[in-house]
Amino acid sequence: MNSNIKRRLYFFLVSLVVVLIVGQFVFKSLKKNTIYFFSPSDLYNSTEIPNGLIRIGGMVKNDSIKKSGNQYKFIITDKQNEISVNYSGIKPNLFVEGQGAVVEGKLTSRTSLTASKILAKHDENYMPKEVADALKKSGDWKKKYGK
Amino acid sequence: MASNIANLILILSILFSFLCNLFFFKKKNNLSIFFFNASSYLIILSFFLLIYFFCSSNFNISAVYENSHSLKPLFYKFAGTWGNHEGSLLLFIMIVGIYGLLFSRYYNDDSRFKSWVIFFQNNIFLIFLIFLITTSNPFDLIVPTPIEGLGLNPILQDPLLVIHPPFLYLGYVGFSLTLSLVLSALINKQLNDRWAKICWPWVMTSWVFLTIGISLGSIWAYYELGWGGYWFWDPVENASLMPWLVSTALIHSLLVLKVRNQMKNWTSLLAILTFSFSLLGTFLVRSGILNSVHAFANDPDRGVFILLIIFFITSVSLVIQILCSSSELKNKFLFFSKESFVNINNLFLLFFLFVVLLGTIYPIISSIFNKTISIGPVYYNTILAPFVFIFLILMSIGPLLKWSQSIGIKNLNPSLMIFFISILLSFLIIQFTRQNDLILYLGILTSLVLIFTLFYEIVKNIKKGSFYYPRLCSHLGVGVLFLSIFLNAYYSKTKDFEISMGETKVFDKLSIKFLKQDIYKINNYLEMKAEFKIFIEEKVFNLTPSVRRYLQPDQITSETSIQPTLFSNYYLAINFPDQNSTTLGARYYYNFLIHGIWLGLFLIIFGGVLSVFKKRI
Repeated sequence: MNSNIKRRLYFFLVSLVVVLIVGQFVFKSLKKNTIYFFSPSDLYNSTEIPNGLIRIGGMVKNDSIKKSGNQYKFIITDKQNEISVNYSGIKPNLFVEGQGAVVEGKLTSRTSLTASKILAKHDENYMPKEVADALKKSGDWKKKYGK
Repeated sequence: MASNIANLILILSILFSFLCNLFFFKKKNNLSIFFFNASSYLIILSFFLLIYFFCSSNFNISAVYENSHSLKPLFYKFAGTWGNHEGSLLLFIMIVGIYGLLFSRYYNDDSRFKSWVIFFQNNIFLIFLIFLITTSNPFDLIVPTPIEGLGLNPILQDPLLVIHPPFLYLGYVGFSLTLSLVLSALINKQLNDRWAKICWPWVMTSWVFLTIGISLGSIWAYYELGWGGYWFWDPVENASLMPWLVSTALIHSLLVLKVRNQMKNWTSLLAILTFSFSLLGTFLVRSGILNSVHAFANDPDRGVFILLIIFFITSVSLVIQILCSSSELKNKFLFFSKESFVNINNLFLLFFLFVVLLGTIYPIISSIFNKTISIGPVYYNTILAPFVFIFLILMSIGPLLKWSQSIGIKNLNPSLMIFFISILLSFLIIQFTRQNDLILYLGILTSLVLIFTLFYEIVKNIKKGSFYYPRLCSHLGVGVLFLSIFLNAYYSKTKDFEISMGETKVFDKLSIKFLKQDIYKINNYLEMKAEFKIFIEEKVFNLTPSVRRYLQPDQITSETSIQPTLFSNYYLAINFPDQNSTTLGARYYYNFLIHGIWLGLFLIIFGGVLSVFKKRI
């Protein structure tokens, strides 16, 4: 084998190894940091309980918000199934009973979640796409939310 | 009547644009350029008409009715012109025209090359003009005239957001001229060092505007959103970062083309990619695929149309590139030469691009398969951090090397010195502040290496009496930016709390007292201002964050209150209080060295500006 081909072969092999390692690193990190979204019914129907950071979306059930100091307890519903949520922190401006909301956190059981974040919405008429889909799926989609 | 005149102007503009193409094919260069210019002036005129309609609240124009309100302050009526899909698209087209106008004015060589550039520019212009008229005409007539408009999203009613979109567009759209220049050079076989010199100021201008646009968005997010941060890895932010990364790679490879007349094919490919990513950014942001304050158009047809335009422009450009690119002499790069480091720089920037692109479109692709996911910021931070470290080190070595010759390791002795000093200094900083973290340590170390190397270069240049400021300035900006980002990430503090009137909250050395709250009625909103007294060690000051309730449309926004000091910001934001609650939710942030981030961005931009006006080599 002449030296030129040998050098190219080495170059190719080294590049390949580097690309594979970096690719592995990127995809592992991507997988680890993917936050899946569930509606309460999705969770009810799923065979196993996801154990990592997840998001849940639906409506905040009327008269369900209970507050003591910084602690909030409330129920997220898609009118079929419910998830009770514990949250400690400051609630965003537009987090109101009877309105859509998305919470991020970890499940403690199939029907309860400890939230680390309540996602803020941009305006009153705006419905998070995830919530809209979740409500459409459970058949509780009213005309007033738009298309 | 008003609507008719405006529509007539648009149609005339399309007609002239077609005439430009016609005369171009008849090889009447001057006439072709004349009609392009005429068409551009008409679009500028129509844009001013739209501004006039917005300012005079002419509600029988659809764009005005949907996005304005008579009670809005005049300034925001004016800014509302581009605070919506139709108006911003007209702005987009106008800027394509303006870049073409400026080029035809300042490039005085009346050659076929010039008319090809104008030809391509004209067709980009035409495609978007047809898109405007068919799917999103701002001048549609509404009969009967509505009495009142629907109002502008209050979160957009902010002075920074008034100038943010025009700057961003001047950047994005500026790359249309880069694309036209590349395609024309490919067809005329003029892709060489001389061409790179012609191209340079235009690329740099667009890049500067894009950088300013991104910075303004970041500054706005910092003080308006009330989340204490300046970058959230939001898909919308990523959409603007992607063209920035490619265009930065382009600038570096263009430099090799300018000085060494090498990397022709690569440079032309990057130029095409830059405009494609600019369009992709516009598409992602405007199509309504992403949930954000930027998504005006929730009409899927428009999204599909923009996607088709991107596909069309990119594929036509690539075909021209493949057909017309000349086979280059295989240039052997020596590893320790400037060229090879520019190559490595490009590889890194494209890797960053890949990471950001993957994180941005993976959720979109997965939503097609009915799986809703989102990618957390940790993804970007963990992947990018290690590569940023290597990147910063290479960035300090690269410029010290020479073009097309390898230099011995001996010549890098000063770098070794700097390296050891930085190791020591960053170790001391870590020890002194008791923050034992490897990432922080490497972050401080590598940014210090870059900053010190640049100081060394500046001193050396002053001694020699030779000055090459633009690169030093921008690179110094990058060093300052990353140093600040790492320090800010590790030394900032945040506290969330509920507080009632008269109460004092104590955390460690910090105590916060809630003094009073007042409600004001201003123009088109109600404002609730709360006053707090902050005691930190010996410092005492007042902060007055507020929330606004806009009436049309009904919406709440937070206004933060910030006390800047030399090295940090004390930052307070409050929430809209519940009706029957006696307490107020508040978020306190201590943001360390946030000024450093703004300073870094300023230096990067200033270096770019210097480079635009620098005498051509």
